[in-house]
Amino acid sequence: MSAVATRPREVAAEDLAPVNPPRKRWTRFLLPTYTWLMILYLTSPVFVMILYGFNAIPGDRQTPKFWGFTLQWYRDLFGVAGLTSALKNSLIVAPVSAIVATMLGTLLGLALGRYWFRGRAPVNFLIFLAIAVPEIVLGSSLLSMFVLSSTQVPLIGDVLPLGLRTILVSHIGFSIPFVAVTVRARVQGLDRSLEDAAQDLFANPVTAFYKVTLPLIAPAILAGFLLAFVLSLDDFVITNFVSGQTQTFPIWVFGATRIGLPPQVNVMGTLLFGAGLLAAVANVVVQRRRA
Amino acid sequence: MAKGGAVQETAVEPGGAERGLQARRRLVPYYLLGPAGAWLLVFLLLPMLLLAYTSLQSGGILSGGFQFTWEFSNYVDGVQQYQKFFIRSVEYSLIVTLVALLLAYPMTYWIAFYGGRWKSSLLLLILIPFFVSFVIRTIQWKFILGDNGFILGPLKNLGILPDSYHVLATPFAVVAGITYNFIPFTALPLYVALERIDKRLVEAAKDLYSSRWQAFRHVVWPLSLPGVFAAFLLTFVPATGDYVNAAVLGGPGTTMIGNIIQDKFLTQNDYPEAAALSVILMLGMLVLASLYARILGTEDSTVAAAAGGAA
Amino acid sequence: MNERTDHSLRDEAVMEAIMRARLTRRGLLKGAGRGAAALGLGAFLAACAKETSEAASDPKQIFGGQPGDKINFANWPLYIDYTKDKEGNRYIPSLRDFTKETGIEVNFQEAIQSNPEFFGKLQPQLQAGQDTGWDIIVITNGRYFTALVENEWVYPLDPTKHPNFDQYAAKWAKDPTYDPNNEHSMAWQSGFTGFGVNKELVKGPVTKLDDLANPDKVGKGLVGMLKEDMPDFVMINLGIDPTTSGPVEWKEAAGWMLKQRDAGVIRQYYDQGYIDDLTAGNLSAAMAWSGDVLYYQTWAGYSNLDWIFPDDGALHWVDNMLVPVEAANPAGAIELMDYYYRPEVATAVTEWVLYLSPVPSTKQLILKDAKKAEDQNYKGYANKLLATGENPYMYPDDTLLGRTSYGRELKTDDEREEWDAIFLPISQG
Repeated sequence: MSAVATRPREVAAEDLAPVNPPRKRWTRFLLPTYTWLMILYLTSPVFVMILYGFNAIPGDRQTPKFWGFTLQWYRDLFGVAGLTSALKNSLIVAPVSAIVATMLGTLLGLALGRYWFRGRAPVNFLIFLAIAVPEIVLGSSLLSMFVLSSTQVPLIGDVLPLGLRTILVSHIGFSIPFVAVTVRARVQGLDRSLEDAAQDLFANPVTAFYKVTLPLIAPAILAGFLLAFVLSLDDFVITNFVSGQTQTFPIWVFGATRIGLPPQVNVMGTLLFGAGLLAAVANVVVQRRRA
Repeated sequence: MAKGGAVQETAVEPGGAERGLQARRRLVPYYLLGPAGAWLLVFLLLPMLLLAYTSLQSGGILSGGFQFTWEFSNYVDGVQQYQKFFIRSVEYSLIVTLVALLLAYPMTYWIAFYGGRWKSSLLLLILIPFFVSFVIRTIQWKFILGDNGFILGPLKNLGILPDSYHVLATPFAVVAGITYNFIPFTALPLYVALERIDKRLVEAAKDLYSSRWQAFRHVVWPLSLPGVFAAFLLTFVPATGDYVNAAVLGGPGTTMIGNIIQDKFLTQNDYPEAAALSVILMLGMLVLASLYARILGTEDSTVAAAAGGAA
Repeated sequence: MNERTDHSLRDEAVMEAIMRARLTRRGLLKGAGRGAAALGLGAFLAACAKETSEAASDPKQIFGGQPGDKINFANWPLYIDYTKDKEGNRYIPSLRDFTKETGIEVNFQEAIQSNPEFFGKLQPQLQAGQDTGWDIIVITNGRYFTALVENEWVYPLDPTKHPNFDQYAAKWAKDPTYDPNNEHSMAWQSGFTGFGVNKELVKGPVTKLDDLANPDKVGKGLVGMLKEDMPDFVMINLGIDPTTSGPVEWKEAAGWMLKQRDAGVIRQYYDQGYIDDLTAGNLSAAMAWSGDVLYYQTWAGYSNLDWIFPDDGALHWVDNMLVPVEAANPAGAIELMDYYYRPEVATAVTEWVLYLSPVPSTKQLILKDAKKAEDQNYKGYANKLLATGENPYMYPDDTLLGRTSYGRELKTDDEREEWDAIFLPISQG
């Protein structure tokens, strides 16, 4: 606040605008514009995909050429054998894998981020390896492991035949480290005194966790969940190895690229994207309600 | 990475109940990591052990299979023969990570600090393109970046670019593709770390420092370091082993170690050498990451910043 | 999720042998203790796999008996006849008819995207002597086919059980060099690797191999090569017979390929995705599979694309049906495999897939269908059928076939290693 009073009106104006004009330019225009441009960049292939879902191609297989608009692929959405069941499989595995991985990974991230315990270094090492291992190698090792274990212990062959179950189990396995690292980053900077204070007030560490820690790390948990969801939905290499006869959406799509993608793939991608968009909108509505 | 937690458990009055509580407290981390640890043990550690075991085998797919023979020559051969691919992959990956950090940081900064109640929605917006399979996205990028596609076509018609110019099948395309695919891995940890920074610290800094930039440099940046480190880890490490982008968007001379491993595995069926290359890759990443952690000194700076900032 | 078909459908003797093998494994493991067992695992499984396959290697026993209720058929995408019923649901007519006739249900899956990946998936199970879940798989002749045969991971067929094949199969499909006497396989579809050309982008006719290395003809950075087919293809065009070639000839071919690379014409070395770039106009010329280009040229309106049979020869490849060991329903499998050698059935498939049919009489049937379509006034469709039926590359005569060759079979690990040491660095630069 200016100590020197010039004309009264000018002082008042300065009071009303606590930010300097240069700052305003950054936060009001440059950064948000940049962010939206980035979002545009991230979504640009999606727009192309949506567009080509309306491509009136003469045959069954897609090409870069755009022939004209049609809704036939929307009408014929489930017309491609195998694609529909592949999509269904992906939509079953992804949320389940994400939920389980988030639960387990959050606990793990908490443990790593805040406590010292014996075996902490090896656990960190294991997580690191999980992120570093090339997918093709993890995929084939998992397959070998499933196969070997089912030949030695027949029970495993019944409990974990190659298929949806092995896919699910593998997805959870490789998602946990990603969630853990995300949560750990958040937890590492948390002010421990907050939880200690809570413990002075409440009797129970569990309650302290629920009421204090959990809300503080909630963004990390959400971020971890989304990451795990995307990882699962998108995974091709590992899934391909452990899936047996089952197919998931990425596997089916990858297979079709050999000859050409049917437009139904674009339509499904569009719908998936639309679902995500709806979730974003729903999120906004929920936040509004809370505020 | 082995440094203790941010705050040491302060000794309380060692009354009976307190001691019980402390004892139970000591077990807390084990309870927390129990379920996840068990899962990882079975579905991550075991396959990796199998991997290590395979890497020391020898034999051939047509010579009666593979036998365990402590074949360390797999490692020696791997390093000697494929040095240049390891180096190239690290180079590409470093560029990718740097670019991804540069691209993602301002974006996540704005969302975390100024997103308000749209925060999680904006985060979601960043991620939903990745709900769509990477195969589809890569193909669409091929359409977009095609020699006469949406971008290059008009530019060529206008005469800005020569007719023979192409983006695809160049190292640029590969790096751009990998960067694109890994932005969520960069953005999420960054967001998570930025979001938890107490805004009042920034306010206080603005009062103390003469410019916003200094406020950023002395307060926000150090506090966001754990996020930067996590982002680096989650991006650099898997990006080095990527093979899809090089296969689809690359050309001669862009082969990465991931492609070599894939060829060794699927084409040559040389499982031991493929496994050995993978182990070398993982260990190499570990070395680099630890170096990076040391340079950055994440844990220490976190403590210092938190302690200093909260005072 | 796949349910393993009941093993009780198979022959008793075979069952006994398998049970014996399993018991041996379990017994040994109990005795040896975990650590030792882990170390000896590799050798174990190799030995156990051999035992099982020895016991079950008599084709008569394997393929005898009543076929089971279900056949699991793994194939490549879009490699069979599809159509829509009145409600607009897709189905496979040839399979539906088969089921109507025999009562056997067919679980058809487009599970194969590439030979190496599919092989990589099956290998652990085959090595461990496990049922892969498939009764029929379709693998191209090449190193994976050879590995399956050499390791005895596919059953030898019972020659008395494929009458249609015997009667209707083309000469090239019978007793091919890569599978003498069709001991293990029957062709599904076939094709040639030649030049795929974008007539608008090449600066002159592309008819010889050297054209693909000549920037004046194909420009710079606009040529696509197929990694797996390259060595054989180049050898053929250099006048070498791949099937009898050795390291000396391989080095010669590699020399040509390096020269090509140094000329700066290469855009990319592909595993299989060249067709996207070709249709997008990113390539002026490429090594291409006949059916791919034919489809886009004839049926998808890409009149600027053309497939050219090289002056000096083309590579002939065949996708073959095989029965993996431990398959649950081999008797059903061989029945289905032979069913596809009926001319009407083969015609239905070829009219859709547009690759080389192993049944030459489909040509007449396709031309008949073309006439029928024309009579019914489906002019466009009729023309396409006509073009397909009269395409010399879909129905090659003997002279044309004489100018093609199969690829080199690599039967030992040493051969594979030497081949890879010479050729892989070229694409892996």
